[in-house]
Amino acid sequence: MSEWIHPGLIFILGALLIPLFESIGRKIRNVYMIALPVIALIDLLFMSYGEYWRVPFLNYELIFGRVDALSMVFAYVFVIASLCMTIYALHVSESGHHIAAFLYVGATLGVVFAGDLITLYIFWEVMAFSSLALIWYRGTKRAHEAGFRYILWHLFGGMFLLAGIILHIMSFPGQEGIAFDAFAWGLGSSFIPSYLILLGFILNAAVPPLHAWLSDAYPEATVAGAVFLTAFTTKSAIYVLLRGFSGVEILIWLGAIMAIYGIIFAVLENDIRRLLAYSLISQGGYMVAGVGMGVLGTKVGETAVNGAIAHAFCCVLYMALLFMAAGAVLEVTGKSKLTELGGLYRFMPRTFWLYMIGAFSISGFPLFSGFVSKTMVVEAAAHGHEIVWLLLECAAIGTFLVVGLKLPYFTFFSGVQCEEAREPPKNMLFAMGIVAFLCVFIGIFPQFLYGMLPYAVHYEPYAPGHVISTCEMLIFTFVAFWMLRDNLRPEQKITLDTDWLFRLAGRKFIWFCEQPLITFAEIIDGALRKIADFFAWLANNPAVASRMLVALTGAIVFKPFHPLNEKYERDLNELKRVYSDEAVHRMGIGTGVLLVLIFFTLYLFIYLSYGVLWR
Amino acid sequence: MGKNVLLFRILYAGLALSVLADVIFRFFAHSAQEHAAFLLQEIPGFSAFYGFIACILIIFVSKWLGQRFLQRDEDYYDYWGCVSGYARAEGGEKA
Repeated sequence: MSEWIHPGLIFILGALLIPLFESIGRKIRNVYMIALPVIALIDLLFMSYGEYWRVPFLNYELIFGRVDALSMVFAYVFVIASLCMTIYALHVSESGHHIAAFLYVGATLGVVFAGDLITLYIFWEVMAFSSLALIWYRGTKRAHEAGFRYILWHLFGGMFLLAGIILHIMSFPGQEGIAFDAFAWGLGSSFIPSYLILLGFILNAAVPPLHAWLSDAYPEATVAGAVFLTAFTTKSAIYVLLRGFSGVEILIWLGAIMAIYGIIFAVLENDIRRLLAYSLISQGGYMVAGVGMGVLGTKVGETAVNGAIAHAFCCVLYMALLFMAAGAVLEVTGKSKLTELGGLYRFMPRTFWLYMIGAFSISGFPLFSGFVSKTMVVEAAAHGHEIVWLLLECAAIGTFLVVGLKLPYFTFFSGVQCEEAREPPKNMLFAMGIVAFLCVFIGIFPQFLYGMLPYAVHYEPYAPGHVISTCEMLIFTFVAFWMLRDNLRPEQKITLDTDWLFRLAGRKFIWFCEQPLITFAEIIDGALRKIADFFAWLANNPAVASRMLVALTGAIVFKPFHPLNEKYERDLNELKRVYSDEAVHRMGIGTGVLLVLIFFTLYLFIYLSYGVLWR
Repeated sequence: MGKNVLLFRILYAGLALSVLADVIFRFFAHSAQEHAAFLLQEIPGFSAFYGFIACILIIFVSKWLGQRFLQRDEDYYDYWGCVSGYARAEGGEKA
């Protein structure tokens, strides 16, 4: 094997021991839970590039540890983020919640280091199910339902992925079939495996119209669970897209649309965590567009890939910070709707400023992390994709508008003035502090981040031109916001998204089952039962019954001819009396057996004589 | 109130400064930097203009989309198209 342990294993095995430490004492459990990501981080520092942990499986060899620059960047950010998130979640008492979170992180690391498609698929599904627990732990009815929809979406995506993998294995014999590298891309039926795998990947990346699970379920998760959810599913999807579909042009457009789409819905949204979920989708758009522009071998393509990775790195951190702050508001006030919040600055100034660091980072203010990563993707778009450039800049403006202005303005200042609130628990503030520090640190010293990227960075974020135009753009966005702030006032509404189609289809399907299908079945059932009843009646006494039938037919047929009709009716009445009075004749079992034997003998006779005579 | 006035003065100063810096940069310090990738980036003050216009556009377009098509009452999914007894019972409890 090798000198290092798979960091995903540290999380997955470590998670199983949490209840043990819980039983010893809460403090010891907390120390243990912080120790796990720290050990994983140290483990990462000792890893060297290569392929480790090869396990024979069927005719293949599974590779659990493919370590290269790309997987290392993602592993670092996931482990660092999980450390901060664990600190944020320390006050949560349920062990199950922590176990789910650690399994989720471990499975994500499994995806990141997976060197083949089978390993990838296994960890992919573990990720979906462990994250589901973080939603269900909220315990509300809405969370329960949203969780069901969440897992259905992911199973749907997982089926695409599995189908794609199986077709891929069938079209390439041997170890090459399960190799997880860049997939062949083009137009035509021979690329169907690639299309299916891409569908599975972009569902997890929350590319519209396959994004509704995110904005539906994340805001319903627990306070700490939502923080975990923001980082891993979408960013690991970006990782696998980078690995498999770098430079696929359709992703550029999907990404640009995704960036704008998220913003439009975030402007309309009332729930603070759902607003952030939509801006998370929007941020994913930059990365997806970056993957699309990442044609390897060209300078622009390498900038785009670097940008996508750097942005994923920064996005994990500032999105976690934003969700932490929004979670803190929910934890303290029990409310998450903008229409019910307002004036919280008086009670929670620290939370506000920590939130604003996240908001400045996501908006790409100079000296904050978004500025050094987002602009790389935008810069790549400026070379040859002018419309995409305009869309991405527009999304940047919109991000500042919703996350940097609308949300804090209506939560911490204007709106209903909340009467009572306080700062969140210390562990939450501390975790937010660490993430906020990292956001600023990366913003001021981007070379630490750039040094980790797989390609050499030929990009200078703090060129005066960039700084000036970014400042200019953001200040004028603020002016427009201030002029139109009353138009942005939140409304007590929900926004229909693409999941409407699925909810519609689901309900219509149930209606279809309950109404037309059941009615149809009842008609068929009734008719058949009537036929059966008729035969039972007939079989009761065939002789009388057949005479009754004749009498009945006669009575109906001869209705116009008066005398005959009377005769038949008299007969019929007489027969009816006899039929109902007459004892039912039942034959003994012996008679039945005898009849069966006679039939068998006849059959045997015919069979044999056919065989002998007519052959 | 005095604090707000001060903040707005700072804002106006920021507006003026940023545009001024942009114009000066585009005309005088231009050669020192790698040139912009395409035409729009060359126009002085384009970012200011775009930031302002795009922000207004985003607000109005999304609000229009919301009011015209997308927004519904909060209990929309609880009542909407309910046919199963389960959903009806839930709705009944709520009312």
